[in-house]
Amino acid sequence: MADLPPMTTVKRWLVTTNHKDVGILYIATAIFFLLLGGAMALIFRIQLWEPGGVGILSGNEFNQAVTTHGLLMVFWFLSPIASGFANYLVPLQIGAKDLAFPRMNALSYWFYLFSGVLLIISFFQQGTFAGGWTMYAPLNVPTYTPAMEATTGGNAVILGLMLFVISITIGTVNFLVTIHRSRAEGLGLWNMPMFTWSWLLTVWMMLFAFAALLAALLLLVSDRVLLTQYFATDQGSSLLWAHLFWFFGHPEVYIVFFPALGIMFETFQTFTGRRLVGRKWVIIAMVLVAVQSFLVWMHHMFLTTINLEIKTLMMATTIGISLPFDLMVFALIYTMVKGRVRFTTPFLFSLGALVLFILGGITGVFLGAVVLDYEFRGTYWVVAHFHYVMVSGVTALVAGLYYWWPKITGKMYSETLGKLNFAVYFIGFNMLYFPMFLAWETPRRVFHFAEGAQTYHQVATVGAFILGASFLIMILTFAKSWVSGPEAPDNPWEFSRTAEWAIPSPPPLENWDGRPSYASGRLEFVEDSPAATDGGVAHGQGNQAEAGIEHEEEHADHASIWPFGIGVGTFVFFLGLSGLTPYIVDFAEGTPNPPEGLTTVPEPSMLYPILTVLGIGIMGVTLYKFGMEDFEVPEMNIAERWPFGGVGNTKFGVWVFLASDVVVFGAIIGAYVFMRIHMGWHEWTTVPFASWPGLLNTYVLLTSSFTVILALVMAERKSKKGLLGAMTATLLLGLTFMGVKAYEYSVKFADGEYWWYGLEYSIYYVTTGLHALHVILGLFIAVFMIYRIISVDAYLEDHRPVEFFGLYWHFVDIVWVLLFPLFYLM
Amino acid sequence: MADLRTYTIIYVLLLVLGTGKFVFFEFDFAYSIAIGGTILLAVAKIGLIAAYYQHLIEEPRSITYMMATAVFMVFLLTIAAGYSIQ
Ligand code: HEM
Ligand SMILES: [Cu+2]
Repeated sequence: MADLPPMTTVKRWLVTTNHKDVGILYIATAIFFLLLGGAMALIFRIQLWEPGGVGILSGNEFNQAVTTHGLLMVFWFLSPIASGFANYLVPLQIGAKDLAFPRMNALSYWFYLFSGVLLIISFFQQGTFAGGWTMYAPLNVPTYTPAMEATTGGNAVILGLMLFVISITIGTVNFLVTIHRSRAEGLGLWNMPMFTWSWLLTVWMMLFAFAALLAALLLLVSDRVLLTQYFATDQGSSLLWAHLFWFFGHPEVYIVFFPALGIMFETFQTFTGRRLVGRKWVIIAMVLVAVQSFLVWMHHMFLTTINLEIKTLMMATTIGISLPFDLMVFALIYTMVKGRVRFTTPFLFSLGALVLFILGGITGVFLGAVVLDYEFRGTYWVVAHFHYVMVSGVTALVAGLYYWWPKITGKMYSETLGKLNFAVYFIGFNMLYFPMFLAWETPRRVFHFAEGAQTYHQVATVGAFILGASFLIMILTFAKSWVSGPEAPDNPWEFSRTAEWAIPSPPPLENWDGRPSYASGRLEFVEDSPAATDGGVAHGQGNQAEAGIEHEEEHADHASIWPFGIGVGTFVFFLGLSGLTPYIVDFAEGTPNPPEGLTTVPEPSMLYPILTVLGIGIMGVTLYKFGMEDFEVPEMNIAERWPFGGVGNTKFGVWVFLASDVVVFGAIIGAYVFMRIHMGWHEWTTVPFASWPGLLNTYVLLTSSFTVILALVMAERKSKKGLLGAMTATLLLGLTFMGVKAYEYSVKFADGEYWWYGLEYSIYYVTTGLHALHVILGLFIAVFMIYRIISVDAYLEDHRPVEFFGLYWHFVDIVWVLLFPLFYLM
Repeated sequence: MADLRTYTIIYVLLLVLGTGKFVFFEFDFAYSIAIGGTILLAVAKIGLIAAYYQHLIEEPRSITYMMATAVFMVFLLTIAAGYSIQ
């Protein structure tokens, strides 16, 4: 493989897979989206200068600006900038050379970038999505929003968000494998630095929460592009969306806040010169919050028709979740009281974040009370609350920027400018958001409000510009440092203790010369001679086999263009999908029972089908190249791996991915159960024309599971013939399954019963269709593997890929175990 | 890895269990018995596939716990949402 080109070339940034480079890319891109989201906010704050608006935006444009502002800030800025820090710092803090899967890491970055490009393009597709960042049903489907004709742009946003979630999922798998399996010798979980701790819990929450969002978005895309009816009925649609969205959405607010919290812990320790008070309890509290975050989601649904019992329960769990937060807040305050504070810029921002968070948290507790929320729901009180908490997070992230800037760039910044930045930021922030509490009776997302609230809104608008200006000061500060700042030493902060400060600023490509180790209780760099490694087997776990082999030749690749290529392909494909709705409408109108209430959709444009096909083509080629590329990533010989020692990195990665897929599929099956309960269990119409095709396919799929296992046995026996035979049988069985499925669908189509024919039909086609899609993807992998077996005798020496394929295939089989009774029998 | 014989026995078992669901609904069982029976059969099938074909029994227990957490999330969402509209 090619070596990495220098940082000053464009090529470097297109091919790099190094965690520090990817981290920088994430941070820079996230700041770009911050500015874009900020521009949206400034525009609608101007509109809010007078009740009824000053007229720079039409009603629909106002909705678009508010919607994209929310989406950009929550999705394209907050999480990704934290991702950037994590990319750069987590490997350093745990003593690894890179993430477990560097190419996948680059891939998640490119998916992130292109998902944002989709959002930007949507503005030029007759307007972007305008239904609010929560995308509530039924406003999220075109049928019910004739005023918002921007079907294509809306589709592009939803598809972009879907791509974003895919990017998050890939990153999640990567970080979970890395943090659990690449910690330096002696670095037990308890001793991990606080930022890494907060990120570990963030990714665990992401794994389950974003999977639910992915499920929701898949259904929404299906509604918008294929005209299914999940979110367009009056039979529970809006509740279904609310449940799926907030099951994700509440954990999401901690997902965006935890990394900020981690930065606060780090900076408080460094700038008070004191270990965090009650560190162990703080970690326990964070774990508790991460768990509890999945138990409160219906506090966003107090004004829906869910029953009072569950509302009361959610009120209780919501109060419960604020308790561990109290502990963390007090730990921070005590650390400050007991230590000797140095008021540097990063500390000021962190302290500011703490103050703002306390205010935001307290106002949140009001909202958590059912009775109070009846008043507050949908008002500026909510807007003020969540800006205090979320932008408190932003404040801490800015602290992180200042804190690690010298490490990342090797330059010091001007403390004077930094402090000025903080002052302007803090004033602007409070001028912007505090008046919103006072103007709380203003309904959110509308620019009509009572005359009496005008002053508050005007102060807020002025505050918005001041806050905006503070970011310009920040950029100026960093630009000046970059151009003419003094060189930064390895460690500019007296009391910083984490490993990233023990190496040069900026760190070299592979981070360390020797092997970082905490075996003696503090960080040391040890030189392993092969003999010494043999002797060191007693440390760590699961490393006996590899220890000592090929020590000298160990070589890691850092460059691959294929992640970028796959990103381009997927982007083109998704862009193509965004414009397919008019074709489906045309098609539907030619069938005996077209869907009702189709509103005006744009004229079909040939561009989109062409893009779709082109995208599939690019994806095919680049994925193939990616699969064929020889890319060396040595696994660490000696590492702490609790509790996931004893499986390889890749196998663990496959399992983590499957865990997220369990939630995606589970949520979609859950949607079936929910809608059926809502309808009345026995009112349900069974869609398939008979149950025998389901039974037949059960046999087919079970048999294919058996042949996959057979393939693994054959690979272990190094029998090429057996392996080839078993894999081919699997392929044929998969095709048979698809054949039966196609027949089953065609019988229904012949009667004019397509997926828009009724809710049951939507659910049947989408759920079995998604399963079929999994089968098809599996078949592509099977074809690739068969080709490799024939061409290069693959998998006889190393049969692990056969095993990984099997894990996936059996999962697909397991899903069918549930779909068969649900759709054919019950 | 288990041996081929074990895998074959499990395969046969899976076929039988799969047929069992069909039997429950095609022949005259009370609806509630059919549903209950089918759930049991499905759980048994999933258990067999996960434990042996995906050889979870040979992996560190932590993997099983992780997957159990994922399944728990699904039940949490579905049951709580279903209950909320009772
Ligand atoms: C002490 C902890 C907290 C409590 C008790 C709490 C409670 C609540 C409640 C009950 C709501 C729903 C209000 C309504 O729509 O009527 C809400 C909204 C919201 N909260 Fe919090 N919250 C807390 C912390 C946080 C944190 C840490 C964040 C983010 C970092 C956050 C972000 C949000 C957001 C974004 C919304 C609005 C969602 C929307 O409707 O657009 N909250 N909060
Ligand atoms: Cu919440």
